[in-house]
Amino acid sequence: MDRASVLSSMASAAATAVAASPSRAEALSLLRSLLRTASKFNDYNVREYIKRRSLDAFRENKSLSDPSSLASAFSDGKAQLEVAKRQEVVYSLYAPKVKSIMEIKKL
Amino acid sequence: MARNLIRRLPILYQNHPHRLFSSATAAVAPSPSPSPSPTDEEIVEMKGVKVSGRPLYMDMQATTPVDPRVLDAMLPFYLSRFGNPHSRTHLYGWESEAAVETARAQVASLIGANPKEIFFTSGATECNNISVKGVMRFYRDKKRHVITTQTEHKCVLDSCRHLQQEGFEPLEEIGRICREKGVPFHTDGAQALGKIPIDVEKMGIALMSLSGHKIYGPKGVGALYLRRRPRVRVEPQMSGGGQERGIRSGTVPTPLVVGMGAACEIAAKEMEYDTRRVTSLQERLLNGIRSRLDEVVVNGSMEHRYPGNLNLSFAYVEGESLLMGLKEVAVSSGSACTSASLEPSYVLRALGVDEDMAHTSIRFGIGRFTTEAEIDRAIELTVQQVEKLRNMSPLYEMAKAGIDLKSIQWAQH
Repeated sequence: MDRASVLSSMASAAATAVAASPSRAEALSLLRSLLRTASKFNDYNVREYIKRRSLDAFRENKSLSDPSSLASAFSDGKAQLEVAKRQEVVYSLYAPKVKSIMEIKKL
Repeated sequence: MARNLIRRLPILYQNHPHRLFSSATAAVAPSPSPSPSPTDEEIVEMKGVKVSGRPLYMDMQATTPVDPRVLDAMLPFYLSRFGNPHSRTHLYGWESEAAVETARAQVASLIGANPKEIFFTSGATECNNISVKGVMRFYRDKKRHVITTQTEHKCVLDSCRHLQQEGFEPLEEIGRICREKGVPFHTDGAQALGKIPIDVEKMGIALMSLSGHKIYGPKGVGALYLRRRPRVRVEPQMSGGGQERGIRSGTVPTPLVVGMGAACEIAAKEMEYDTRRVTSLQERLLNGIRSRLDEVVVNGSMEHRYPGNLNLSFAYVEGESLLMGLKEVAVSSGSACTSASLEPSYVLRALGVDEDMAHTSIRFGIGRFTTEAEIDRAIELTVQQVEKLRNMSPLYEMAKAGIDLKSIQWAQH
């Protein structure tokens, strides 16, 4: 199976499955997916925001130990990943002709 | 063999032209550019101004970018779920109505209100009109005073002026006393929403105007909070089919309202994180500029301002010329909204800013999507521009020489 179909079958499984406490590997994989999706955005500000926000959120939740709050944080993260993946496509369809100055010039 | 070499020479010429020059000609030959020169597509020109890329955006008080999560919530209602929420007879209407009611609850939750106290409008300006004119016209037979502050948005002041023509009298005070005296207190929450926690109960607010596009939501939508206990009555300003319980007629724009609801929900979740971050970015901006420039004044109180708004005046530098030089940073001057006139902002004057300083002010707006790198770039560009303008300013020279500018008798011409 290629990566896209793996991701979509995971997504549909996640949508129907009962929220379960994630393993460390699953959590890291979610963070990696968020960062990877972020890096595909053609909008400088949105790209940086998703990277920063995902890292900060995972850092904040690092100390969570109670399984139900872990599960809800994980499922919230997965929902955010779905939004990010959809919007990455939408933003790419309407990319402005000129990039942000932050991406072009060095002072 | 020789023919191959001859065929290859032109290619050598193309790829390494400078190798075949003598040192003299090499000195005058144009040095090869390290990267391809910008094509037409990489320069934006508008109103005679050229920028090589989209400026970094620091004008969050004017408007905010739509959060991708908000757009995600809105899109289905521009695609398949396009129904009118007031259609009672089919799925399109029902799903649209459900979405509007969900959004209503999201807005209410952000300000500690009941969903029945939220009415959707076209924006904060419309809310201000309904609040000021609607309340006063409703109570016109009983009371005729309006209390307002000098720093209100033009639409509030204009609404008050209209009422003045209808025989109402404006006074000047601040509205905390209102609650004690049983006077309905209206506040324009457009800039504060989502940045500072608002609780209409704790703050004794009777009416509040809310704007979608100031909290990373879409433009064209707002919400009016109208207290139910004790009940605040308004005379509707828009007549029609009686939608929004008669308070505001007109088809409720489902996609915009859904966007505003989503923006409010996100604001509630992200308020602490955003506020922390924006406050530290604001400090970074101010310290960065102050460490390299003197005679920088912050307009308005440092303690009582919401995070992200930095209004600075630079002595001896004219605001418009500073703005013209700052083309790679999207900022605005003074207190905008009335930027069409050359009059120094009435808001700044009310805040006690000297007239000559009011013309020098710049307003930086920091938000959820602002990065540290953008702050650093803004500092660099601002400092460069201010230094350049001050070096050209004879007033600055005189001030540096110790002359007191206020003591100068300017000759009459």
